[in-house]
Parts: sequence; C-alpha cells; structure tokens
Amino acid sequence: MMKRLTPWILVGPASLLVLAFLILPVGATLVETFADPKGWLAPYAAFFNSGFRRTVLYRTIEVSLITTILSVILGFIAAYVVAQMPARWKSIMIIAAVFPLLTGVVVRSFAWLILLGKNGILNNLLLSLGAISEPLTMLYTKGAVIAAMVYLFVPLMILTLAGVLEGIPKDVTEAASSLGAPPFAVFRQVILPLAMPGLIVGAVLVFTGSFTSYATPQLLGGESQMMMGTFLYQRAMVTFDWTGASTVAAIMVVVTITIVVLMTRLARRMNPMAA
Amino acid sequence: MTVSLTLDNVTAHYGSTQVLQDLSLAIAAGELVSLLGASGCGKTTTLRLVAGFLEPTSGSIRLGDRDLTRMPAHQRDIGLVFQNYALFPHLSVRDNVAFGLKQRGLGSVERKAKADTMLERVGLSAFAERMPAALSGGQKQRVALARALVIEPPLLMFDEPLSNLDAKLRVDMRVEIRRLQRANGTTSLYVTHDQEEAFSISDRVAIMNAGRIMQLDRPEVLYQRPANSFVARFVGFENLIDMTVTERNGASVKATTPAGASVFLSQDVFGAIPDRFVLAARPDGLAVTRSEDGIPVTLGIRTYLGRAYQYQCMAQSGTYLGNGPLTEPLEPGTAASLVPVPEQCCILPSDA
Repeated sequence: MMKRLTPWILVGPASLLVLAFLILPVGATLVETFADPKGWLAPYAAFFNSGFRRTVLYRTIEVSLITTILSVILGFIAAYVVAQMPARWKSIMIIAAVFPLLTGVVVRSFAWLILLGKNGILNNLLLSLGAISEPLTMLYTKGAVIAAMVYLFVPLMILTLAGVLEGIPKDVTEAASSLGAPPFAVFRQVILPLAMPGLIVGAVLVFTGSFTSYATPQLLGGESQMMMGTFLYQRAMVTFDWTGASTVAAIMVVVTITIVVLMTRLARRMNPMAA
Repeated sequence: MTVSLTLDNVTAHYGSTQVLQDLSLAIAAGELVSLLGASGCGKTTTLRLVAGFLEPTSGSIRLGDRDLTRMPAHQRDIGLVFQNYALFPHLSVRDNVAFGLKQRGLGSVERKAKADTMLERVGLSAFAERMPAALSGGQKQRVALARALVIEPPLLMFDEPLSNLDAKLRVDMRVEIRRLQRANGTTSLYVTHDQEEAFSISDRVAIMNAGRIMQLDRPEVLYQRPANSFVARFVGFENLIDMTVTERNGASVKATTPAGASVFLSQDVFGAIPDRFVLAARPDGLAVTRSEDGIPVTLGIRTYLGRAYQYQCMAQSGTYLGNGPLTEPLEPGTAASLVPVPEQCCILPSDA
C-alpha cells in the first residue's frame, strides 16, 4: 500500500504548487474571457475586429518568426564552428557566447539604444565614413527590435546546438563522405537531421522567448512597434482592461502552442528519431 | 573491376608529431592485406590517409590508375567499415545501405532493389525497416558491411571492424567478411590489433611499429620466419637470446651467450649463420632437460599447459621460458639445461 502511494507523496508538493500558482490562475484568466456579459466570444471578436490589435498580433508573429529563423541560422553556424574546435578553445568560446546572458535583458536592450540612436555609435560611424549624409532612423523600428532580440537569443541557440552537434560522432560524417556524399550533402542528409532535436528545442525557446518578450520591444520598438507583450501590459496596467488583457494572454498561448506543434512536426519529418 | 592500391613513401604528421615515416605498401588487385600493430603504431593513420580524412605530408597514394593523394574523400569511391559501425541513426537499415547509391544518383526504385539484394546477402532482409538503434552489435556490423559493399567499391577498408563484438560473433563475422571479399574479389585493407584475426583473414599481413612496416608477408612466413626481433616478439617468440659464434666446424656452429653458455646449431637447418645473431625461440623451441649440454639454468615457476610443462628458467644471461615433457615434472630450484629445438627456432640479425 505504502509502496503504491510513495510516488504520489513525492510529486505531491510540486504538483500542488503548480496547481495553485499556475493552473488555477491561468484557468481563471481564460475562463474570464469566455464569461463576458456581451456574449461568450465577445472579447475575441473585439480583439480581431480591431485593425490595430490584429496588426499587433501579426507583427508579433512576424518579428518572432524572423528572430527565430535568424537565431537558428546564426546559432547553427556559430555552434558548428565551436563544435569543430579543439576542446580548450571550445570551452572558451562557449563561455564567450554565454557571457551576455549574465547581464539583464534591460541592460542589453539599452546597449542597442546607444548603438542605434540618432546620435548613436552606428550613425556617427556611418556619418564619419561618409556613407550617409544625415542620421538614419534606426530606433523604434521593427529592424531594431529584431536585431536586439536576435542578439538576445543567439547565445541560447548556440548553447543548445553546440551540445547536439558535438554529440554527432565524427565517424558518421566520415562514413557519409566515404560513401560519396560531398560536404553539402553530408550537412543536408546527416548533420542537419541529427541536429534536429537541438534545433527544435532552440527554436521553441527562441520563439516563445521573443513572442512573449516585453522589455526589448518596449525599449527599442516604442509605441509604433507595439508587440503582444507590451500591449498586454498596457491593457492590464494602463487601461485596467482585465478582460482585454486576458484575451491577449489566451491568444498568445494558442499561437505559441500552434507554432511549437508545427515546428515539432517539421522536425519529425526530417528525422524520425527527433522527439 | 579489381585494382591495386599503392602507397609510395608516405609520411604523415599530426601537428608536429610524425606518425608515419616513408611508408610504402602495395596491395595487389583482389588481395586482402592487414595492418597489424599496437595502438599508436600508425595503422589507423594509414587507413585514414587512404580514405582521405587525413593528408600526407609527402608521398603518394594510388588506386589503380587514379591518384588519391590529394583527392577529397567523397570522390575516392572506397567502401569503409568502421569500428563503431557509424550507421546513420536517423535512417532505416535499408536507407543506410542505400545512402551511397543515393549519392551516386540512382533512382529510388533501383536503390531499394539493390539495397534489398545486399541485405539478403548479409542475411538481414527481415530488418530492412528497422532503425539502427533496434539492432544488435553483430547486425549493425552486417549493415555497415552491406552499406560499404553495395556501392561496389574498387577498394574495401576495415577499421577494427570486429573489436566491439563478442568472441563467438567475431569468428563468424570474419569468415563472413572473408567470404564476401573473396566473392567480389575486392582489394581490401584491414586494420586490426588482433593477431589471430589478422592472420586468419589475410592474404598478407603488415606488422607495424612506430609508423613503419616491420615486415609484410604471408601469415605463415610471419609466424615461422620473422625477419627481426620486433616481429619475432610480436608473434610469440618470447625468448630472444644474443649469440656470438665461437667455433665453426663444417655445418656445425658453436654459439655462445654473453654469459658464456654454448649451444650447437646446424647450418643445414638454419642456413648461413652470421657471426653475431639473435636466437629466437618460442617456449616450445627451448627444451628443458637434465642433460649437461645447452644453457645451464635454474628452474623457477612451473605451469601446466596440457601438452607440456612450462618453466620459468633463470640463466646468467637472462630469464627464459622453456617447455619440458609431461613425463618428468621438475621442481622449482632444480638445475637444468635449455636446448634449442632447431625446427622451432629462428636466427635473426643482431639488433646491436
């Protein structure tokens, strides 16, 4: 009897915590959006009937997808180079890649303010080189948000992928080339499918991270580049529209889950061994 | 199509460390040659040079009339079997075997047909749909073999292919490898540290040490007539005794150890005996007797071999291993003599 109960007793405390502080509040938030006096889907109708709100959603998806794709490409290249290095250099490079993660998101976003501002480092450099005649508007653009987020998330991608790429045995890629596969075919048919589990974990982390990001779009995007995270904050803390905020949250959860499922599908097609 | 493999004065380095020194090796068309040696002797380096995973510092590698020396690995057309199988974990058994065919641009129908035929030859038809993770070690190595054979390469190379298998399977697999290699008449290079494996499977064996081939010959010759002390020790000549000829009397030669003990050897058996040489003998080649002739020794530990007793023999010039008859067990501490059994001994050039 005791034996049967032991596992339940052991997972009990954690399960209660998750239930009390995650499932119940999230559930309550979601239920609220369906209990509107104007009809049970009214908050959603209101959201999708507003051109502005739709734009925010599409922009968030677009920025997150572009960020994810760029992070995957840049992270993969960096991780591949790191994985080929001799062991001593490998750890130095990994530490270098992870170093930015030691500072806060806000601090790192501020760095981009200094870089991209009207009087920023980049504009001054281009002006002094004579490449441009007057300062470019780089802050408060979609590009600024994407650049900063890619910078935020690439270390995460490198970290996830370096381990996976290192785990691909050298003799497997050698076997592929001995069987006549040129370097690109080795990459496409062996390395990429075998790296797929890591790519998916990384891509999901980056996508969810950028989809829910708050500080970066707030600092570098401003009002004109509002994203779901900043919009949600505004609904809840500025206009006190709790139902509206809950609706935004519910839509974010649905979009995130959908994208994650799609990514996993894609991965399984490339490598049946991937989760 | 059978072709020969030729390595000419190949030197190779890892960084600044020289791992191969002026290595020359010619494998005739259809022949299976093993590289045999302890780890670090350069055998795997040689294989990697031929495969194209490593570039020689100098020298040339030719396969038939093709110069492989600087050719990229994927253009070399060599079937390679790895120690750890190196199967593609994300592909089914059939797709693993078909991988090389795909690179050669064969259509999917033809790929499947050829892969399935090859799987049948290695007895794995029932496993075509399985993933490598669901196979035993022996099955994995058969898939690896099928994958290397299916591209019909002019050269097959094996890098310690059996060292991860258990003893029984090892014997089965080496027979299998030999059978398939013979059936196709494919020129083959086989790398191993296992003497029995190399001798049983090969037409010729190259015994390597410190980046050089010490002797390349048929297994029988290596086993019975090693050319130098290194090879002799490698094939089990545990007694190497430095000798100086002190008296010649027709065919009979009196040779003396550094400690002054003498034995008589016949040039009718050994051919011309040089003034200084090393007498190499397996324990079978040194008879332990109570007679006065031969090298005087004091017996040490006695072990029972089934066909004979083996004794540790302390002589003034060193400690040797000799065998004595079962009829007369001798106790440790007994004074006895070691007499060379001519048919079981070799005369080697002196190392000094």
